[in-house]
Amino acid sequence: MPHLDAAYTLAFYLVRDAADAEDVVQEAVLRAVRYLSTLRSDASARTWLLAIVRRECYSAYRARRARAEHTLERGDDEERQIVDPGERPDDAAGRSVLRSHLIAAVDALPERLRETLILREIQDCSYEEIATITEAPLGTVMSRLSRARAKLADELGGVLDIEELS
Amino acid sequence: MSESPDFRRAMRDAFPERPAPEQLRAWAQNVARTGGDTRHSEPERVRTISRSAGARRVLQAAALVLALGAGWGGHALAIGLARGTSADDAMVGELVDSHVRSLLADHLMDVKSTDQHTVKPWFIGKADFAPQVTDLASDGFPLLGGRIEYVAGHSAAALVFGRRKHVINVYEWPASSADQRVVREQRSGYSLLHWTANGLSFWAVTDATPADLDAFRSAYTPGH
Repeated sequence: MPHLDAAYTLAFYLVRDAADAEDVVQEAVLRAVRYLSTLRSDASARTWLLAIVRRECYSAYRARRARAEHTLERGDDEERQIVDPGERPDDAAGRSVLRSHLIAAVDALPERLRETLILREIQDCSYEEIATITEAPLGTVMSRLSRARAKLADELGGVLDIEELS
Repeated sequence: MSESPDFRRAMRDAFPERPAPEQLRAWAQNVARTGGDTRHSEPERVRTISRSAGARRVLQAAALVLALGAGWGGHALAIGLARGTSADDAMVGELVDSHVRSLLADHLMDVKSTDQHTVKPWFIGKADFAPQVTDLASDGFPLLGGRIEYVAGHSAAALVFGRRKHVINVYEWPASSADQRVVREQRSGYSLLHWTANGLSFWAVTDATPADLDAFRSAYTPGH
């Protein structure tokens, strides 16, 4: 089953729960499997599967997320460190601070910005692929990406040197 | 802000790729393999796994494969059953495997709660029957949570209870009217107890003692 890890990773970060991500991927696979053999290009198969996963995430879990259920596994077993915003992290501890701040800042992004950013930075999708997956015009994808990065720069500006982001 | 390798590195560090769990991978491979079989019978719109006969069938197939722990040896078991292996015997094996897998694979619970009023509604829309969910903390069997399993051709509600430092998995599904038996089994160091009550079939599996299971049964379904 190709692209299963990509599908699971996207589901995991969109629904933010391992068990829910499994449910979503199962639904997506059941939908996908009927058409899998008709696909030619590997890249388009991946884009198409991710689009199905994303739709499943929204159709199955919108209501649930709206209830603000926020079970984020990675958040549970990692300490969130609070630092003086003026401090410049430049060692291992600093990187872990950056990491937890980045996770919190990405999680705080509006959903459309967050998914666009995840597809771009984590899934390595092209703008065109993101446009297909999120059913948005190319211009919207680019504007969402730049808004997402601007918000992160705002949030993280005090924690890390802005040059690291830009 | 433009594209930046540092930013991407930071993002990937914070949001690493999540490999699909092995169970999901095995299931997906099986679906991909049997995709032709499900295509015609599966409803156009699948709302939940438990409502879709096609989905349930492939999950059962995957459960069989996993229960064997032998990759694609699922055929071997299917043949074995057709030749008349005792249904109970196969079921006991499946239940023990499911119990062990739930402990090993970090898949003990999909709903984690000690509150029966949280656990019971969780099954709505996931199981096509209403399982019994009773917290027995006062009897020494605290409710820990639940999940859906596919065992021996049934969509089963699996309830998880604690017993001192042990775990009891209780599998429930609608009982056939003919089944009034009480079955006690020992398998691979695990104890199993089967009984029926209130239209439900119960199979309890644990590494606690058989006496614990009897105590559980009389507390869970008094008089049965």
